[in-house]
Amino acid sequence: MEITKSRFNIGEWLRRPRGHLTMRQREGLVGFLFLLPWILGFVLLKAIPILAALGFSFTDFKMLEPENTKFIGLTNYINILKDASAGSSLFGSIAVLVQAVPIELGVALGLAAVFSSARVRFKGLFRTLVFMPSVIPAIALFIIVFGLVSPGSGWIERLILDPLNLPPIANLFSIFPILLALWTIGPGFLIMYGAMQSVPPEVYEAARVDGAGPINRFFSITIPMISPAIFFSLVINMISSFGGVALLDRGLPFSQSLSPMESYINAQMFSYSKLGYASALAWIMFIVVMVITLAVFRSAKYWVHFPEEEDNVEF
Amino acid sequence: MLNSRLQGFRRLFNVSTLTFRLWNFTGTATVNLLLWAAILAYLSPLSYMFATALKTNSQLSDSLAPIYPATAMTYTFQGNNYDVYEVPTEDGVKQWALVNPSRKESEFIDPVHPELGLIHWDGSWRSLHKAYRPSVTFNNFVTLWNNIDYPNHLRNSLIVVVLAELGVLCSSIAVAYGFARFRIPGGRFLFLLCIATIMIPDSITLVPSFVIFTRVLDWNGTFLPIIVPHFFGSAIYIFLLRQNFKTIPREMDEAAMLDGAGPLRTLVSVILPQAVPVVVTVALLQFFNIWNEMRMSSLYLSSALDLRTMPFTAQAFVSYGFTAEMLQASALVLIIIPVLVLFVAQRFFMQDMVVTGIEK
Repeated sequence: MEITKSRFNIGEWLRRPRGHLTMRQREGLVGFLFLLPWILGFVLLKAIPILAALGFSFTDFKMLEPENTKFIGLTNYINILKDASAGSSLFGSIAVLVQAVPIELGVALGLAAVFSSARVRFKGLFRTLVFMPSVIPAIALFIIVFGLVSPGSGWIERLILDPLNLPPIANLFSIFPILLALWTIGPGFLIMYGAMQSVPPEVYEAARVDGAGPINRFFSITIPMISPAIFFSLVINMISSFGGVALLDRGLPFSQSLSPMESYINAQMFSYSKLGYASALAWIMFIVVMVITLAVFRSAKYWVHFPEEEDNVEF
Repeated sequence: MLNSRLQGFRRLFNVSTLTFRLWNFTGTATVNLLLWAAILAYLSPLSYMFATALKTNSQLSDSLAPIYPATAMTYTFQGNNYDVYEVPTEDGVKQWALVNPSRKESEFIDPVHPELGLIHWDGSWRSLHKAYRPSVTFNNFVTLWNNIDYPNHLRNSLIVVVLAELGVLCSSIAVAYGFARFRIPGGRFLFLLCIATIMIPDSITLVPSFVIFTRVLDWNGTFLPIIVPHFFGSAIYIFLLRQNFKTIPREMDEAAMLDGAGPLRTLVSVILPQAVPVVVTVALLQFFNIWNEMRMSSLYLSSALDLRTMPFTAQAFVSYGFTAEMLQASALVLIIIPVLVLFVAQRFFMQDMVVTGIEK
C-alpha cells in the first residue's frame, strides 16, 4: 500500500489504464464533465422553456386557473394575425433596432478611429469617460432623461429651444431611445478600438507610401482589418435591442422595455395573465430574431474578413 | 511617387523647422480640443442630474431661477428679512431688497449702502426677477437617507452580486476550459450551440421559467430565481474566456500534466494565472450586469419588497412621483457605485478584449 494512492487524485485516475476506455475517450469524458454546467443550463434554462413555450402557445393557459387549460390548436396564432397591436409592436421593435444599432455602431466606430490617432492625450481617462454612461443603470438614465425633457423646467426646453425661439417639441421623450443608444456605445467602442490597435502599423505605412490618404486608409485598411470586431459589436448591439443577453446589460425592467414587442408580451402575461397568447407572441418574436440573426451571420462572409484560425485542436 | 516625396519633405520638416513643429502642435491641440468638446457634449445630460440634485425645491419652483444650484438672496433690515431683486435702474441692474412692495411703485434698500435709506423705484415689482447667489444643498441626500432603507438595499445588492459573480465565474471558466482544451465528440457543435444561445431573446424563455420558478419550485419572493441561473454559466463569457484560453500555449499545460497535475489542477495553476485580465474583465462585466439588473428582480421580488436591490431605490421615486430634485438625487446615489467601480478598475478593464479570432 502506497500512501500517495490513499488520496484520490482525479488526474491519476484518468491516466490509469482503464481497459475499455482509450486515452482519447477519457479526454472526451473529462472535457464533457467540464461542459456539464453549461449543458445542464442549456437544457433546463433554454431548451425546456423554449419547447414549453411552444407547448403553451397551443393552449389557453391562464396563470390563475391552470387546471382549466385546454388545447386550442392554432387559435392563438390566428388571433395574432388579427391583432393589429401585435403587428405594430413587432414593427416597432424592428424600428427600434434599425434606429439604435446604426447610431451605436457609427458613433463608436468614428470615435474609435479619431481616438486611435497618436495625437490624442490622456487616453486612459478619455476611454473611461466614453465607457462610463454604459454602466449607468437604466432607471437612473430614465430619471435623467425624464428631467431633461420635462416641459417648462427641462433643460432641453430652457437651454436649447427657448433661446432659439423654437416651438416646444410635442413628444420630447422620443429622444430617450437615441440617448440610450448613444450611451450604450461603450463596449462597441472598446472592442473596435482594441481591434484598431492590433492592425500592424506596417500595413498603414505601406499604404501611405503608395499614396493613400487618411480617409482612403480608413476605408480600405482599417474597416476590413477590424471587420470581425465590427461584426461582433453589431451582434451584441442587435441582441441587446431585442432584449437578449448582451455583453453589458443596463437592466431595463420589462415594464420600461424599449422593445414594444417585449412590452406587449409582458402586458399579455402580467396584466391579462394570458400565458398561452404571450407564449405564441414570444415564439413569433423568437422566429423573427432568429431569421434576422441568421441573415446577419450569412451576410458576414461577404464583408467580414475572418483571420485564419490558428487552431491545433480538432473538433 | 509624388506623394511619398511629399511625405519625405514632411518628415524632413518635422525635425528641422519651427514652422512644422508649430503646425504639428496646432494639429494636436485641435484634435484634443475637439475630442474634449465631444466628450463634454456626450456627458452633458449628467450635468442636469448633478445641478438638480443639489438644488432646493424652492429654487425649482421658481421658473426664472438660474439653472445652477443657487439660493434666493435675502437682506435683513431693521429685524425683518426682505427678498433681494434684480432692479433695472439708470446705472444698470442693481440688487436691491424689496421693503415696501406696491403695484405701481416700490421702495427698496441697497444692501451695499443701507445708509442711503429707502430708495424709491417706479414700476411693478412683480416684473422683477429674484436675485440668486450660487449655493448647493445636500439636504436632498439627507431626506433620501431618512426615507429609503439604503443599508438594506445595499446588502441585498451585495448578496446577489457576490453569489451571481461566484456562480458565473466558476461555471463559465470551467466550461470555457472544457471547450478550449479537450477533444470532445461533437464539441464543435456544442460550442456553436453555446454561441447561438446568446441570440435567444429573454421573452421566449420568460413565460415557462416564470411558471417553473413560481409554481413548480415556489421560489417567488427569494433571490434564487435571480442567482441560480448564473451557476450554469453565461454563453457570452464562455465565448470570451475560451477565445483567451486558446491563446495560452498548450505546451504549458502539457508540462503540468506530465508533472502529475490533473485537469482541474492545470486549470487553476496554469491557465488561470495567465488569463487574469480576461477573468477580471468578465468579473467586471458581470458586476455591472448584476448591479443594474432589474428585469428578473422586478418579476420575482415584487412580493418581497424588502429583498429589492439598489436600482429599486430610485424606482420607488418614479412610481410615487417625487419632486425633481429628489429624483435626480436618487439617480445620483444610484450611479455612484458602478461609476466608482469602473474608474477604479479601468486599468484592467477590457484591455485585451481584442476580438480578432471570432469564428462563425
